[in-house]
Amino acid sequence: MASSGFQADVKALQKHLAARHLIYQHQHNKQMSCPAMAQLLSNTLYYKRFFPYYSFNVLGGLDNEGKGCVFTYDAVGSYEKVGYSSQGSGSTLIMPFLDNQLKSPSPLLLPARDAVTPLAEAEAIDLVKTVFASASERDIYTGDKLEIVVINADGIRREYMDLRKD
Amino acid sequence: MSIFEYNGSALVAMVGKNCFAIASDRRLGVQLQTIATDFQRISKIHDRVFLGLSGLGTDAQTLYQRLVFRHKLYQLREERDMKPETFANLVSALLYEKRFGPYFCQPVIAGLGDEDKPFICTMDSIGAKELAKDFVVAGTASEFLYGACESMFKEDMEPEELFETVSQALLSSVDRDCLSGWGGHVYVVTPTEVKERILKGRMD
Repeated sequence: MASSGFQADVKALQKHLAARHLIYQHQHNKQMSCPAMAQLLSNTLYYKRFFPYYSFNVLGGLDNEGKGCVFTYDAVGSYEKVGYSSQGSGSTLIMPFLDNQLKSPSPLLLPARDAVTPLAEAEAIDLVKTVFASASERDIYTGDKLEIVVINADGIRREYMDLRKD
Repeated sequence: MSIFEYNGSALVAMVGKNCFAIASDRRLGVQLQTIATDFQRISKIHDRVFLGLSGLGTDAQTLYQRLVFRHKLYQLREERDMKPETFANLVSALLYEKRFGPYFCQPVIAGLGDEDKPFICTMDSIGAKELAKDFVVAGTASEFLYGACESMFKEDMEPEELFETVSQALLSSVDRDCLSGWGGHVYVVTPTEVKERILKGRMD
């Protein structure tokens, strides 16, 4: 889960979800799938509808079939499964470019076109690095360093990249 | 709602190799209602200087009329066209005259200066100039345009490639902004010709 916003609320939210995940593992003897965690996060956020977690989240992971999924949230738990998303102060700079590169065709088109843009792991990582480099140029709050968490069938690995330090 | 977001606008100017492109959206709205889908935001001052005005539509039209008037006077006195740098200074001065009751516009000026060197600049509503070597943006879609242009811009693009880049950046950005869109208007200017093209995008 990647979160932007008020860091204290982000930490509290992460702590809460980690605790709930541990309970799930004790009760069900397995890890939570991404869609399950997506629903849990939504419910957790809406629970505090009238005193929200000031946290804008993007959840990424693998579903039960091993396919990648991305869920995007607002601060009170409204969520949607999408192919790509961004949140935070840099999101206005990043989203149009992602739309341009990845946008699925309209479901109203005939003949019906597949909505999933096939994106290889290396292409996806490259795209992430490009958009963050661009966002760091123009957004004063974005920069310093980038952490990319890559989740695939082999497990989880982290990649780091330096960004503009101003 | 801010007065700058009353009509909705998107403007971008980009520098290429001995050429520049200036582009705008075509929507004129009154808050959430769309009034016109063919609104001209970019005007030609002379063959080598173009002016785009984002922000409040009425102020954009009035400011344009005042600037055309001043430029025609300049042409009569100096017997030549204004350089883009000079024109930018004129716009800045006119805007600052109204420092405590401003025009609610953000201009984008693009032109070919001496030795056909492309010149672009933007300013805020009270005339603070911002020169740039690569691109400038203005309007309600400006944040989106910053991101799209920053990712897509390359140095020294030829006019055809510059047109493609500006068009893609503009269309992707206005698709994210509800107050701008309904197509695009792109001018690509080289020392020899001016190419004006209309883009068809999402009409919503």
